Amino acid sequence: MPSSSLYGKKKRSSDTVLKILINAAAAITVITLLGIILYILFNGVPYISWSFVSTAYSETNDKLKGILPMIINTMYIVVITLLISAPIGISSAIYLTQYAKQGRLVKAIRFTTEVLSGIPSIIFGLFGYTVFCILFRLQTSILAGCLTMSLCILPTIIRTTEESLLSVPSNYKEGAMALGAGKLRVVMGIVLPCAMPGVLTAVILAMGRIVGESAALLFTSGLSYNMPKGFFQQIFASGRTLTLHLYQTAREAASPDAMHIAFATAAVLLILVFLLNRLAGLLSRALRKG
Amino acid sequence: MSISMKSAESAQRDINKNKVKKGLAVVLGLISVLTFFFLPYIRFVFKNTTYIVSGFQLATVKGFRVQGPELSGLVTIPLLTRISVIAGALMAIAGIVLLLCKKPALAGAAYVISGITPLIVLITTSNIQTAVTQLNISKITIDYLWPAIYVLIAGIVCSVLSLWTQGTERLAESIFLVFSCVSVGSVIMITVYIFAAGAPAIMKIGLGHFVLGTQWNAEAQLFGILPLILSSIAGTIGAIVLGVPIGILTAVFLAETAKPRVAKLVHPAIELLAGIPSVIYGFFGMLVIVPAIRNFPPFQNNTIGDSLLAAILILAIMVLPTIVSVTETSLKAVPQAYREASLALGATPTKTIFKVSIPAARSGILAGVILGVGRAIGETMAVIMVAGNVANMPSLLGTVRLLTTGIAMEMSYASGLHREALFAIGLVLFVFIMIVNISFTYISKRGVQMDAE
Repeated sequence: MPSSSLYGKKKRSSDTVLKILINAAAAITVITLLGIILYILFNGVPYISWSFVSTAYSETNDKLKGILPMIINTMYIVVITLLISAPIGISSAIYLTQYAKQGRLVKAIRFTTEVLSGIPSIIFGLFGYTVFCILFRLQTSILAGCLTMSLCILPTIIRTTEESLLSVPSNYKEGAMALGAGKLRVVMGIVLPCAMPGVLTAVILAMGRIVGESAALLFTSGLSYNMPKGFFQQIFASGRTLTLHLYQTAREAASPDAMHIAFATAAVLLILVFLLNRLAGLLSRALRKG
Repeated sequence: MSISMKSAESAQRDINKNKVKKGLAVVLGLISVLTFFFLPYIRFVFKNTTYIVSGFQLATVKGFRVQGPELSGLVTIPLLTRISVIAGALMAIAGIVLLLCKKPALAGAAYVISGITPLIVLITTSNIQTAVTQLNISKITIDYLWPAIYVLIAGIVCSVLSLWTQGTERLAESIFLVFSCVSVGSVIMITVYIFAAGAPAIMKIGLGHFVLGTQWNAEAQLFGILPLILSSIAGTIGAIVLGVPIGILTAVFLAETAKPRVAKLVHPAIELLAGIPSVIYGFFGMLVIVPAIRNFPPFQNNTIGDSLLAAILILAIMVLPTIVSVTETSLKAVPQAYREASLALGATPTKTIFKVSIPAARSGILAGVILGVGRAIGETMAVIMVAGNVANMPSLLGTVRLLTTGIAMEMSYASGLHREALFAIGLVLFVFIMIVNISFTYISKRGVQMDAE
């Protein structure tokens, strides 16, 4: 029958193989991800307790095996880094999208932003160590780590903010300008508020990167686990973040107990990163709707 | 009538406001200059002797006579310190003059330079510190007194004020511009400092001995990094060979074959994979992949588990999200008409994917692969936990040390030439990354041009 050649499904073996390969690849990706996540959570969550997140840490004292100092250090680094980097990144994005005319400078800014996002964090670490720790004499301190990290996350902030600024419909701007508002007024009063979910997404993505970063902080903010005494004292002192704590405890772990600490730290870290990731996803969805 | 009067009034008010800003900038600038001449700028404490020096003295005095426990000597002030201190004062004067000559933009620039000079002084005086350490004095402190901080703040405030006289709009634009130059400045700084820190060791060891030397032994002062370079390359190639097919096929799944509902579930998984910190990958590798390799029957007696293979497996997982997301984006950018034309000619959907969609998206896919190469070469913390970190020539089941892990392992205790050699490894890594980066920029640009056609 003629219809069989048109509508009958003629299976080809090569097609089937390729289809299986495609599905297998997707399955490998998802299973790997689930495997890692479940392995960490399954082994880590049982050891997370209130005392684990609320006590100090000591290598010698068995009663002090908490991660409070690392949580505080991580928070300090996140907040200070964002305080430095967010204004710079958002201003850059505003300049690039609202003010700049195509020219050499804009090309240079775009090129360097791209280069900056490709530089591996260990190079940032070396740079931060030579410049912030030694030349600026900050020693290994949280502040030096923050300055280094603010360079690391600058491209993330610039690019994501830029995208959200560009997505603001131009008739909003034109309307405001037609009403006689100056350029600054338009940017600050119309464009930036409209792009706010996108800007927040950028900031949250950057937070995720800071929380997960380790190589850039290894030489700059150091590995000390002392309990922070005060804000200003602490930012000039060395302090390890959650990631570096995990690295250090995992490498030095000799007993099962030490391994439990590493697992629990990894689980805390993973949960933190997930929450930030989820928040960024929700915000960007809100932006797409709005 | 009344309207024009009002605007005249407000214009008068604007002029008055500008006069205030201008006056304030001039006065603050003058104080800055006076500070430089008469107020203590910096304090040196060498063991027991204390010197408090004004900026003028710092620029003119030859040096400090310092008495050490064994040696005594003249510690000279670096030329750059002198130049920058003088520049600080000169630029403040220039700012005042330019402002009075009604060149506010130039005045702003001059003030900013004057404000930066204390930072340059801060950087350059580290030479003094090393000079004193050579006299066997261990206890030295160098303090910056408040006038130095005043110069810094006044420089910035004056520059803002003088730009402000041109109106808020211009001020805002200048501030945005200055901030957006931060990324340009930091890339230049990073390049300069990585080269400055890495080049001396390469000079001392010799480029050939350094890059082609096969022995890395810090105690014996042998610094050959060929094993590190080859291991890095082997690790990267392995990760790409494993990661690219899986990544591309996963992207095909997401962009072409999956039902929207399934794709919606898988897509966030890729984002999560990208968000997991590298230490967690390393931790997972250390506890799961390394023992698996150690206990895998065919390998059992040949390996301790920490190996190039473990590094390759971890890196392959880590480059997946990069490759998947870039490939997916470029597959989605392929015009639907291409696919429809192919299907209309009787090609099967699978054939269409492999003969039409993927070739059409190839420049985007290539860009994704290069991005993945960059990630794999630069990855440190995950690899350090699984690779074993012995500087062997790469073999699949043997322990290896990569460029990145070489730096991270020894930085904390290295000193002298050893430390310089680590910075030189950083330089080699940086050169690798720049090559990857620039080829990425080139290829993604070519992709855009092709799309435009």
